[in-house]
Amino acid sequence: MRIEDTLSSAAHTLTAHATRSWLTLLAVALGSAAVVLLSSLGEGARRYVLDEFTQLGTHLLIVIPGRNETTGGPPPLLGETPRDLTLQDALALLRSPHIARIAPVAVGEAPVSAGSRSREVTILGSTSDYRAVRNLALAAGRFLPPGDPERAPPYAVIGQTLAEELFGSANPIGARIRIGDRRFRVIGLLEASGVSLGSNLADLALIPVSAAQALFDNPALFRILVQARGRSALDAAQDDILAIIRARHDGEDDVTVITQDALLGTFDRILGALTLAVAGIAAISLAVAGVLIMNVMLVSVSQRTAEVGLLKALGAREHDILGLFLSEALLLAAAGTAAGISLAYLGVALFNSQVAAFALAVPPWAPLAAATVSLGTGLIFGLLPALRAARLDPVAALAGH
Amino acid sequence: MIELTGIERRFQVGDTEVRALRQIDLTLADGDYAAVMGPSGSGKSTLLNILGLLDRPNAGRYRLDGVETTTLDEEARARLRRERIGFVFQAFHLVPRLTAFENVELPLVLAGMAPRPRRERVRQSLAAMGLTARAGHRPDQLSGGQRQRVAIARATVTEPGLILADEPTGNLDRAAGEDVVAALEALNNKGLTLIVVTHDPALGERARRRIQMDDGAIL
Ligand SMILES: Nc1ncnc2c1ncn2[C@@H]1O[C@H](COP(=O)(O)OP(=O)(O)OP(=O)(O)O)[C@@H](O)[C@H]1O
Ligand SMILES: [Mg+2]
Repeated sequence: MRIEDTLSSAAHTLTAHATRSWLTLLAVALGSAAVVLLSSLGEGARRYVLDEFTQLGTHLLIVIPGRNETTGGPPPLLGETPRDLTLQDALALLRSPHIARIAPVAVGEAPVSAGSRSREVTILGSTSDYRAVRNLALAAGRFLPPGDPERAPPYAVIGQTLAEELFGSANPIGARIRIGDRRFRVIGLLEASGVSLGSNLADLALIPVSAAQALFDNPALFRILVQARGRSALDAAQDDILAIIRARHDGEDDVTVITQDALLGTFDRILGALTLAVAGIAAISLAVAGVLIMNVMLVSVSQRTAEVGLLKALGAREHDILGLFLSEALLLAAAGTAAGISLAYLGVALFNSQVAAFALAVPPWAPLAAATVSLGTGLIFGLLPALRAARLDPVAALAGH
Repeated sequence: MIELTGIERRFQVGDTEVRALRQIDLTLADGDYAAVMGPSGSGKSTLLNILGLLDRPNAGRYRLDGVETTTLDEEARARLRRERIGFVFQAFHLVPRLTAFENVELPLVLAGMAPRPRRERVRQSLAAMGLTARAGHRPDQLSGGQRQRVAIARATVTEPGLILADEPTGNLDRAAGEDVVAALEALNNKGLTLIVVTHDPALGERARRRIQMDDGAIL
């Protein structure tokens, strides 16, 4: 029997039993749509998170005090306590040829007031390079000026929420504010840019790092942000940071360097695995659709027993019959998958046109996986009924039993 | 040329064994016309199924056109059915969702023939049965006699040498039955071997050879 005759004959049979074909097709379509939609949700989440991290700045390394046990190395000596990271540590890092910029960060909470209004917010102490390292945009005014970080003028750059709370709709640039018991002049307004790595950039005040140290009466830095000279310099920069700090800290490795890439890689892996898991769960619905296919095929075989007997009398071989019934199962699966995947793409396009904050993204493997799983289940669950049909005894089949 | 020697067919029903065919010896020349007759349960259909290679005997030999068939595998037997044998059944056995044309086309489709020559052969077969005007009709739109003539067109479309008909007029009234018998006899006149199982003595009389069966044996 020619393959095109097998297929057209199978298609003819399916259309002759339209209702049950449509229902099975629907089940397969829903299953494959679920696989594609859920994995596009996971992929969308992954891209969203990666995007957020990339917004932090490029070629970023983060130096934090204390050794992270998971980074390996010999265990710390008994009684060792990590030394604080100081502004001098931070400035010393600029000696490395692989490091473009550094931004020391001191963090605390303090009340900020202007006139009669007051608000307790995060105070971030840093230097003028913080802007370039973090890729920050200003809505108005200017950023902290460059210069000796030890002797910086009392300027502040504030976030949008803080500005509204303190000044309403009035222009905050040039206004005087108090942070704790110190006076500052507002010179810049940050552009609203949402939440980034846990800090709400809209609700904070940025002041020179020396001012923050004095304000909190603490010379220790919260962390140092380092920007390497390009992606290829990341490893060398990391080595240099460790070497410079070790030399300054009496030969002890008491800091941890996190590269943005490592962080990104971790999130990438976690979210990638999550996407796969979700898609896997959706694939179970395809297996259910496979059971439906098997049921439909079994009914079809038992209703067409006499027909199978006739085909055998007319000279059909076992593999002709097998091919006919398997084609039916595969056509159902294929049509269902095509419909389901189209439906999913339509749904994704519709969602993305309506929702701006979050974009669904169909990972390229998702439609492939959906098609493979559904054709696979079609084949597996279609095989038993098809084999049953192919092995019918012609005389008994012609008699209808 | 059909040569049966010592054919035995037994069925196990529970504890008892039914001997449907006992030591059948039978030789039919090409172009023969034989009527198989006998009471119900005498083994007529069983004999026809063995002749048609739908069933295998428990013992004995069956040579068809010089080929020993009892030792052939299923694939080879399917091929012989496809090329040498045409069946006509009492219950017609037309596929209900297919048109007359498509039903007649089935054996050629199974034989893997290309669509173009296939259509020509089907047209000729239908025309020979006087069914050209009914080609696009489905079985439920045809009379009993027309259905059986579609079945005969299907049985002959592959140009087999042997036609096996199991009570072909059993479901038909007299007039339609006579049409069908005439169609079958016309084929025999063109040289096809024709074996008809029938209960109808009048039909049996018309055959050149009568094979009378009783309790699995030829009398
Ligand atoms: N598959 C089977 N299993 C058990 N017994 C069978 C089977 N097929 C036929 N028989 C038995 O073999 C015998 C011959 O049956 P067969 O169908 O050949 O009779 P028949 O001459 O065609 O009868 P009828 O005129 O009623 O069609 C009967 O006794 C029948 O019960
Ligand atoms: Mg019978």
